[in-house]
Amino acid sequence: MSDHLSDGLLNALADGELSAEQLAAANEHLSQCASCTSNALFQSLLKSATAKAGQRYAPPAQLHDRLAQLAKQETTSSNVRGARRPAGALSIAGWAIAAALLLACGGILVFERNAHQDAVASSESAALVTEACDQHIATLAGNAPPQVISTDRHTVKPWFQGKIPFSFNLPENLPADTRLEGADLTYLHNQPAALLLYSIGKHRVSVFVLQRTIAGSVDVVSAEHAGFHVTAFSTAELDVLAVSDVDPVRLSGLVNAIEQVQDGVRH
Amino acid sequence: MTLLPWKRAIRSSGPQTSAFEDLAMPLLPSLYNVAFWLSRNATDAEDLVQETFLKALRGFSSFEPGSNFKAWIFRILRNTFLTSRSGLAAQRTVALEDELSGGEDGPAHYPEAAIDRQTPEMNLMLLSDRAALQTAMETLTPPLLEVILLADVEELKYREIAAVLDVPIGTVMSRIARARAALRAALQSPTGPSKPTGTSREVRA
Repeated sequence: MSDHLSDGLLNALADGELSAEQLAAANEHLSQCASCTSNALFQSLLKSATAKAGQRYAPPAQLHDRLAQLAKQETTSSNVRGARRPAGALSIAGWAIAAALLLACGGILVFERNAHQDAVASSESAALVTEACDQHIATLAGNAPPQVISTDRHTVKPWFQGKIPFSFNLPENLPADTRLEGADLTYLHNQPAALLLYSIGKHRVSVFVLQRTIAGSVDVVSAEHAGFHVTAFSTAELDVLAVSDVDPVRLSGLVNAIEQVQDGVRH
Repeated sequence: MTLLPWKRAIRSSGPQTSAFEDLAMPLLPSLYNVAFWLSRNATDAEDLVQETFLKALRGFSSFEPGSNFKAWIFRILRNTFLTSRSGLAAQRTVALEDELSGGEDGPAHYPEAAIDRQTPEMNLMLLSDRAALQTAMETLTPPLLEVILLADVEELKYREIAAVLDVPIGTVMSRIARARAALRAALQSPTGPSKPTGTSREVRA
């Protein structure tokens, strides 16, 4: 029944996505076709019923307040705090005390700000490590083949052209018993990342390469998470994290090999 | 293919909290609702919304005034979900799902039993059963559920949904057709919609 309205047209009709010409043609057909009219009516009713049924979960009352509080903390951590000018002093001693107080207050403010920034950076790094480990676990559990399967760095690296907004180098010479298995395109920390899949003996290694940003830079050199060892390094343009359950020394051997070839990468 | 929208986040110059909160806070119920549907539990939904909120706040300088903030923050929510534990599991369901249905861009067909076997009155009765419809929605795979939530509940336009999901508009239309066909079939099944058994996820694991 090629004359009947297609599924796409019926859905677009219910969604208000038809152009004026399409709408006129659809209306003309509907005026003559009971079957399509019935389907169009059902689609429209289904849409409105789904809209109501879909509004199912209300946020808990404290979530709004918590997010507002988080927003304030973010602002506080990002604002540059200016040092206060002391009130006018009448004597040299007064000026000296004021200057000393100013220095002390400034020092405390700088210390507090650094401490807060450190805390923020530390929590971001911890989140990054957790996310990398989760993805590594998911890769192990998924058992799906890599999107690009190759042991050849000249195949794996070009595969990322046009898929990620940066480039990187892969080492030719790998430590003993270490082998490139392939790679996936993934997202880490809400950024596109190259996921390089290596094996060291029978241990699998996930190496995430992502563009270095101000907000999401890697602050860890190595960490343990959920029994996995995470080793990381940063260049001026890249953050690289490697996750595996292999001996940390052997993991470092691979990471060092990758780090050594990152000079001269085109960005 | 748009590759570089995230690059704008790099030149972040600090959160503009008030303007951000004015835009984001009214969307909190919508964000939480979709987050709960996707993650299927309250704890994950709260975490997902909170992470989305922080990412959006930190990247707010990359938001272009005048563009659609709702689509922008839903895109962040969706990307955050995809990198979460439950989201990664959901991603692995997509390939086989498309394989079984003949690909995303293939035509969507209503199951034979779903067409013209019910009277309009019966259809109205089916659609008035909110619980049955919610159960039917629970049976949808994540790619179909998210598109139906964005189209019907959030009332986003196809082009906005395409931006949120980072897929062509044709794929959005195809998924909407498949989702509605699945809902229709589930509602009109003689036994009614059945709760998801987890089979679809286990098959892919």
